[in-house]
Order: sequence, then C-alpha cells, then structure tokens
Amino acid sequence: MALIEVQHLKKYFDVPNGTLHAVDDVSFKIEKGTTMGVVGESGCGKSTLGTTIIHLQESTGGKILFDGQDVTHLDKKQLYDYRENVQIIFQDPYSSLNPRYNIAKTIMEPLQISKRFKSKEEVRAEADRIMDLVGIEKRLRGAYPHELDGGRRQRVGIGRALALNPKFIVCDEPVSALDVSIQAQVLNLLMDLQDKQGLTYMFVTHDLSVVRHISDNICVMYLGQLVETCPSKKLFAKPLHPYTKALLSAIPSTDVDHKMQRVQLKGELTSPINPKPGCRFAARCLYATEACRQPQQLREIEKDHFVQCCRIEELN
Amino acid sequence: MSSENNNKKVNDGEMLLSVKDLTVQYTSMGSVVRAVNGVSFDLKRGQTLALVGETGAGKTSIAKAILRILPDISATAKGSVVFDGEDLMKLKDKDMEKIRGHKISMIFQDPMTALNPIMRVGRQISEVLTAHRHLTREEAVEEGKKMLEMVGIPAERYNEFPHQFSGGMKQRVVIAMALACTPELLLADEPTTALDVTIQAQVLELINDLKERLNTSMILITHDLGVVNETCDDVAVVYAGKIIESGKKRDVFKNPLHPYTNGLFGALPNMNLDSERLSPIEGLPPDPTDLPDGCAFAPRCPYATDKCRQGDIPAVEVEPGHFCECIRVHEIRKEQ
Ligand SMILES: Nc1ncnc2c1ncn2[C@@H]1O[C@H](COP(=O)(O)OP(=O)(O)OP(=O)(O)O)[C@@H](O)[C@H]1O
Ligand SMILES: Nc1ncnc2c1ncn2[C@@H]1O[C@H](COP(=O)(O)OP(=O)(O)OP(=O)(O)O)[C@@H](O)[C@H]1O
Ligand SMILES: [Mg+2]
Ligand SMILES: [Mg+2]
Repeated sequence: MALIEVQHLKKYFDVPNGTLHAVDDVSFKIEKGTTMGVVGESGCGKSTLGTTIIHLQESTGGKILFDGQDVTHLDKKQLYDYRENVQIIFQDPYSSLNPRYNIAKTIMEPLQISKRFKSKEEVRAEADRIMDLVGIEKRLRGAYPHELDGGRRQRVGIGRALALNPKFIVCDEPVSALDVSIQAQVLNLLMDLQDKQGLTYMFVTHDLSVVRHISDNICVMYLGQLVETCPSKKLFAKPLHPYTKALLSAIPSTDVDHKMQRVQLKGELTSPINPKPGCRFAARCLYATEACRQPQQLREIEKDHFVQCCRIEELN
Repeated sequence: MSSENNNKKVNDGEMLLSVKDLTVQYTSMGSVVRAVNGVSFDLKRGQTLALVGETGAGKTSIAKAILRILPDISATAKGSVVFDGEDLMKLKDKDMEKIRGHKISMIFQDPMTALNPIMRVGRQISEVLTAHRHLTREEAVEEGKKMLEMVGIPAERYNEFPHQFSGGMKQRVVIAMALACTPELLLADEPTTALDVTIQAQVLELINDLKERLNTSMILITHDLGVVNETCDDVAVVYAGKIIESGKKRDVFKNPLHPYTNGLFGALPNMNLDSERLSPIEGLPPDPTDLPDGCAFAPRCPYATDKCRQGDIPAVEVEPGHFCECIRVHEIRKEQ
C-alpha cells in the first residue's frame, strides 16, 4: 500500500522573467516502509517537490495522496494533523535552526506544541532520549546553533524531525554536510528507525553511493520533470535515460589509479522559466533529434522501469 | 616569451603559505573549546592541499584563523600564518582588510552567510567584479551573466533574489563570486557539498582552470574523498584539532597509516558492494572542552595501549614526505 502518492504534481513560481516550472507534472508512489531516493541536477526541483508534498508550500496543480486520503487541499485543523505525520530534515543545517533557541529548546519545541506529553519532566526526558538517539552530547543542551560544527547541527535537525514519531520524512540532503564516518552513523540510524517504526522516506541526495545504499526505488529528475524511475538496483545496473547515464559517469572515484571517464555535458543551458514543450535535456543530449522537441511521456520500458525519452528503444 | 616561462617556473616551487603551531580556542558556556591544537603545514604556489576529517575536527576554524575572521570576543588564535613572506597574524586590521577578498578569498561552508538576502544575485556578483577587476558597470553586468552561465545557471536569472535559488544554485553563486576575485589563495570550505556530480565536475573544472591560469593555490576542505582524489596534490587529515597524517595524495590514499585514516576510508559507502550496513568508526570524537592526554584518537582506537594515553605524540615520517602521528604505526603495520 502506498503511503505517499503524487499525481501530475505541479509547482510554479512567478519570477521577474516569467513563470518558473520548478516541479512540472510529476507522478509517483512511495510504498509504506520504503525509501524513495530522488536525484538530479542542482536546481531541478527536488527540494520543491519535497516541501510541496508535506505542505510547506501549496501546489500549483495535481494531487497529493497520503495513506489513500486526498491531502492536496487542507484546512487549518487538517494541516495540523498532517504535520504530526510528515516531517522534513533540511538540506541546510545552518539556516534551518532558529539561532535564538538553544539545542534543548529546539528539540523540545515540537514536543511541547504536540500536547502529547503531560509534564515538563516528560518533555525533558523525551528530549534527552532523542539527543541520545542522534548522538548529541548532553553538555550541548545549552549551546546555540552557531556554536556547533556542521555535523552536530545536522543531527539536531534530525532529532527535531524525529521528535513527534512521524510516519513520513522528507530527508533533503540530510548527510551531505557530514563526513563519511558520521554520515554512516546517521544513515544506519535512519535505517534502524525504518526497521523499527516502519518509517517511509523520501531521500534527496547528490551522493549516489548513499542513495544506492539507502533507497528501494529511485526517481531521477531533470528540470522539474521525472525522467527515469525504477528499483534502485536496476538503475545502477542498467541506467537507460541519457541524463542518468551522464550522471552516473560523473561520480568522482576514490581510486588514485583510475580517474572517472566522465560523459561531458555540453550545450546551451535550458531555463526552467517558460519552458518549451519537448524534452528538457535535449539541448545537452548527444542523441537529440527533431522528435525530441515533441512533448515526452514517461513510459514503462521494462517491468517497473519507467523512462521519459522517445528514443530509448533505439538507443539501448 | 622565455622570461614569462622562467617566471612561472620560479613561481612554481615558491612557498605561498606557511602555517606554524596554529591554535584556536573558543570560550563557550564558561568552558574553553580547544578547536585547533598546534597545526603546521606549508603550501606552495599552484598547489592544492586537502583538509579532511570528521565534523568538529577544526577544519573551518583553521581556515577562518588564516583569514582572521574568527569571532572577536569568543575566539583566540595563536601561532604564525606566513603568507607571501608576511605573518598575517601580526598585520594591522586595515592591512589585513586589503588581503581579504583580494589575495585570499574564501568559499564559505554556509552560502547564506556570504550572500545578502535582500540584494539581487546578479548585482552581488557584479559588485565583486567592479571592485576587483576595475570593470565598468556594463562590463561587470556582462561578465556577471557569463559567470552565472559558467556555473550552470541561465543568465536570465540574473535579477532574482537568493531565496529564489535552490541550495546548490546559491552555493554556485558564492563560488562564482570567490573566483571573480582572482585570488592567489583560495580557501574552499566544502564548496561542492550541495552540488550533484555533473555540476560538481563542472565547478571543479572551473577551479582547476583558475589554478592553471593564475597559479592560484587552494586549501580544499571536504569530506568527499572522491573530490580530494580528483583535485588535490597533498592531503592532511585533521582529528581533534591536529593534523594526524599528511602527505602526497597518492601516498595517503594508497597507504593510509593512521588507524583513524584507515577508519575514514572504511566508512565510505562503496559503489561496488551492496553491503547492508556501513562500518563507521566506533564512538564519537572527543569533547573539545576536555581533550584526553596523549593521542586524542586513543579512546576509539582498536590498537591503543597505555602508552598512547600519555604525553605528546610526535609525528613520524614513515616514507619521504608522509607523516603520521601514531606511536604504534610500525607495529600496527606489521600486525596487519
Ligand atoms: N521561492 C521560490 N521562488 C522562485 N523560484 C524558486 C523558489 N524556490 C525554488 N525556486 C526555483 O525552482 C527550481 C527548483 O528549486 P529546488 O530548490 O527545488 O531545486 P533542487 O533540486 O532542490 O536543487 P539543489 O540540489 O540545488 O538543492 C530552481 O530553479 C529554483 O531557483
Ligand atoms: N563560535 C564558536 N563558539 C564555540 N565553539 C565553536 C565555535 N565555532 C566552532 N566551535 C567548536 O569548535 C570545534 C571545531 O569546529 P569547526 O567548525 O572548525 O569544525 P569543522 O572541522 O569545520 O567541522 P564540520 O566538518 O562539521 O564543518 C567544534 O567543536 C565546534 O563546536
Ligand atoms: Mg534542494
Ligand atoms: Mg566546517
């Protein structure tokens, strides 16, 4: 059963030069207890997709379903309930914490608002448990965000998101500010929580080894659109879309003897403002033809493997 | 022509930066945070040094101390930072002003501290250009748009505000601004963490291009060992405010010596293995307000003995230019 489903979701912004199509007709499902990885070029709409699903901003069009219920439009009371179930861990551990709240207060705030706890002591005890869970030392209870290094700040953000036992968490680059060792601790923590509490994640990251490690399924986005989606194993074994191939080829290698053989992305930049119909990757695609200027559709090419590219059969 | 060539050669081997016994301490909630504890390294012109290490290790503090931008009230820095023959620690504030953002520029870990939220993005870039390259307004606008495109942002977005940009787009603007200064030394603090690998490759190429054209030196702070491999000449591994291992990139990658460095490589999610769990280094880094005696890594080190927990740990040169602060390094290598 899908916990999250979006159908033809759109989020547009008005900007000085026109309408910016940040998320443009995206549809997918996330099954309960699984992780959907979302990857794609910087600026392609991953954060906007996440914040729109959890109603930090209102969608421009399309539908959002949570546990089978239509949650596209919510009134105040419904929004309040929805917020107990969905949370986000932000990309930027610097600006996402209130600089005037110390760490204990930051974590206690959502607990106090929720009215789930009877006394101050219960709230404090719960906050202590969460700090333990994410590995923040007790001595830092009274510290302010600017006094913490990037890694600890991010763990505070994770603690805050976990505080209310949500069902669905958008993890927006939760580990990119962390070094590999603490990254591993945090990923293990997120996976343990998933096992224990059946959490469902949407996991946005630029780190392809991380996304491979943690996701059941993956969505690849390009300029607001979904260009490829399939089970994680398949994507790495047999990427089909030309953009996905370029992306996978650019992973920096840690082997000093073998540097990467990158597929160079050349060609004019395509703007998400007032985009033309047709494939948005075409301007930089080695294989683009006239046919690519027509509107494209996401099609199931192999079982569970969807790709948006009209030339896919010829190319693979 | 030939004299130009000669010049470059002379420049090449020349020392640009020499840091000696740098310490940084903060006072916070009544206790002293010992963030950097005696760090020394040299950097030649045109070379790139990577500072790698766990979160909280003191990497950003080292960079901020070099640029003298630590918070005035709560931080103290000691030691010497000789840049182009001058000790920056001894410079008057107004002379340091002239170096900051001109000869040395920094790409901050947090892009928002470097961007003005209420000024249009393009204007922020063009202001840097008019200040450093003496361009006219019109030239600066043209050049500013070109720089946006170079970091993969369409020029038509020149007039937007920072909040209308994605996280990675803001980071790219900050990089464009730092490169616009054409510095002699670039301090890049996690410059590509918010970027996908294709844009990251593009940005690293831009930085490499600057290095080649102007012989710029760089200190690259990152925890991405792949990025280190792609861009750096030397590597220094920082743990609890000390450089516990340093050397040529090839030596450190091929032959990591310190148990901590080995742990760092072991915690990488491997692209080729479908392992279920990652193996992070057990335990947490030490509390910087209460550092242990002896080796700061000892509490987490599977090889630690009583001797590791006392006195100063000297650096051992295990192979030429490859240093390691571990008294058991030779024994451990035999055991393995
Ligand atoms: N509030 C806003 N107003 C105008 N444009 C916006 C706004 N928020 C986002 N955008 C634009 O929408 C597009 C998608 O942005 P988003 O932050 O979702 O990208 P992203 O995929 O998360 O990128 P990154 O990997 O760099 O974080 C970008 O072009 C961005 O500039
Ligand atoms: N203004 C400050 N006041 C008090 N302590 C601070 C301050 N800035 C940094 N620290 C502390 O100094 C230590 C080193 O921090 P620093 O930011 O240099 O680490 P880092 O290696 O850059 O970490 P990261 O990889 O997470 O960015 C940390 O323990 C941090 O909490
Ligand atoms: Mg984002
Ligand atoms: Mg830092």
